[in-house]
Amino acid sequence: MAEANSTTVDMGVEVAGLRLPTPLIAASGTFGYGDEYREVADYDCIGAISVKGLYLEPREGCPPPRIWETPSGMLNAIGLQEVGIRRFLAEKLPAVRALGKIVIANICGSSLEEYGELSRILDHAEGVSAIEVNISCPNVAEGGIEFGCDPDMAARATEVVRRGTRLPVIPKLSPSASDMAAMARRVAEAGADAVSLINTIPAMAVDVETRRPRLANVVGGLSGPAIRPIAVRMVWEVAQGSRLPVIGMGGIANAEDALEFLLVGAAAVQIGTMNFVDPGVWRRTFDGLAAYCRRHEVAALRDLTGAMRPETAG
Amino acid sequence: MTLSEAVGGPGPSRADVAATLVARDQLSPDAQLLRFESEAPLQVLPGQFAMVRVGGGGLLRRPYSYCDLLDDGAFTLLVKQVGVGTRALMNLPVGAEVSSLGPLGTTFDPPPPDLTPVIVAGGVGIAPFVLFCRRLAESGRRGIVLLGGRRRPDLYLWEAFERFGMDVRVASEDGSAGHHGFVTALLDAALADAGRPFLYSCGPTGMLLKVAELATAAGVPHQVSIERRMGCGMGCCLGCVVWARPPSGGPAEYLRSCTEGPVFDAETIAWDRDPHPL
Repeated sequence: MAEANSTTVDMGVEVAGLRLPTPLIAASGTFGYGDEYREVADYDCIGAISVKGLYLEPREGCPPPRIWETPSGMLNAIGLQEVGIRRFLAEKLPAVRALGKIVIANICGSSLEEYGELSRILDHAEGVSAIEVNISCPNVAEGGIEFGCDPDMAARATEVVRRGTRLPVIPKLSPSASDMAAMARRVAEAGADAVSLINTIPAMAVDVETRRPRLANVVGGLSGPAIRPIAVRMVWEVAQGSRLPVIGMGGIANAEDALEFLLVGAAAVQIGTMNFVDPGVWRRTFDGLAAYCRRHEVAALRDLTGAMRPETAG
Repeated sequence: MTLSEAVGGPGPSRADVAATLVARDQLSPDAQLLRFESEAPLQVLPGQFAMVRVGGGGLLRRPYSYCDLLDDGAFTLLVKQVGVGTRALMNLPVGAEVSSLGPLGTTFDPPPPDLTPVIVAGGVGIAPFVLFCRRLAESGRRGIVLLGGRRRPDLYLWEAFERFGMDVRVASEDGSAGHHGFVTALLDAALADAGRPFLYSCGPTGMLLKVAELATAAGVPHQVSIERRMGCGMGCCLGCVVWARPPSGGPAEYLRSCTEGPVFDAETIAWDRDPHPL
């Protein structure tokens, strides 16, 4: 395999006012608080890190079993076990800042007030560059996906975060919304700077021998390569149907996968479940993107955003 | 306190390395001891594990305790067929490569000099104790090893523990070897023979629970290795949690068996809140 020489390709992208050195972002919930993979992942290839979703207070999460593997995918119902915003700022943020990475805080609220309070706290936080608003977790009883399915609720959550901070605001959209582009337009009107999508798809699996659900929470969120074609379609719909910059994700495992998202209109992409499978995914994807750009004589990777040709292949 | 903390440094650094399967020993109809040679030398402490990725073995890596570490840098894994991950590993041709991420997790503390180690292991739960007993033997220590399984062929690597000079006592549920019944029935006598025992256990949850009850009743220190379904092994997916008190103190919470474990002080685990089927 040819060693990628990225000096000939401009790999930087700009999204929601963030200038990222690479288009690859670590997806919230798959990369801890940012420094856990420091020994095994190539951080030079990471453009930004979206940390584990934060509430005001710590949460214990769902009982186990919490995960189950499905064909090319993974079901999870973690229930947003997390340390709470204060401990994040005091104990976790310094470690990830020390790595010199752009940090995106992912926030979750069980009420509009909580979203507002979190955004006000983060507005003063040294070292947080943007806020990703989780309005789409399938595994929490309150808040979460109910904000993500209802465009009015999504818009109101976006609005309170927008009022609370000067930081870029990036709602993370649920694939459960009936019209993704309409959802994107609503959060755009409410002040979003970009959207990220897709969150996991609500799903379940059953152990037929014991006749019990595989997850204690019964229903979980499906992620991994199994959901990628759905995610690509949704990113394409949002890119077509709104003017908001899009951060795409869903089962990205290599450069070709990332390119699909870029070509249908994503300005940047997130890598999630594949962190668990292969921490080498960062270097491989980055090198593959640079090699693709050289092979196709693309001087700047950002020129690939939305560059899909409308006619079908062959 | 883990061994790595005791010696004052961070644990051995982890890496994702290619490892080549060089030998396979069929221990029973559904269990194998696999020997791998790693592309880089390994520094593994007893109790630690690797997340192994094998072609055709599903999406996620699977966790395996390092069973033994050999002088030439090779390591062994004890594998019993459970699902697609273990099946792919058991069908892997000699000479093929896997990707091995490790070493991960906490370690068994060496027994204090005045205490006698007593090990209780069920089925593939013996895996981490081979390296542990090798280290005990190297430092001139001896201990009692209680092995349990359904049938005689499930008492894996029995002879390895004898080779390390351990006092090995076995139990089988069908009576085909040793005591007819559960291995935990051997525990009272072993604790009495040890005088001042330090307990270590790994195996099915029911066995661990019984050992923990007996250890608590007898006031014996007890470390337990807990296996949970894991997604990443790196502390990020939060899939493998155990309800337990953190080592730093404070109330119980969901701790990661990959990071705060797999080896826990048994008294920190709230067994009643953690009826995990695995």
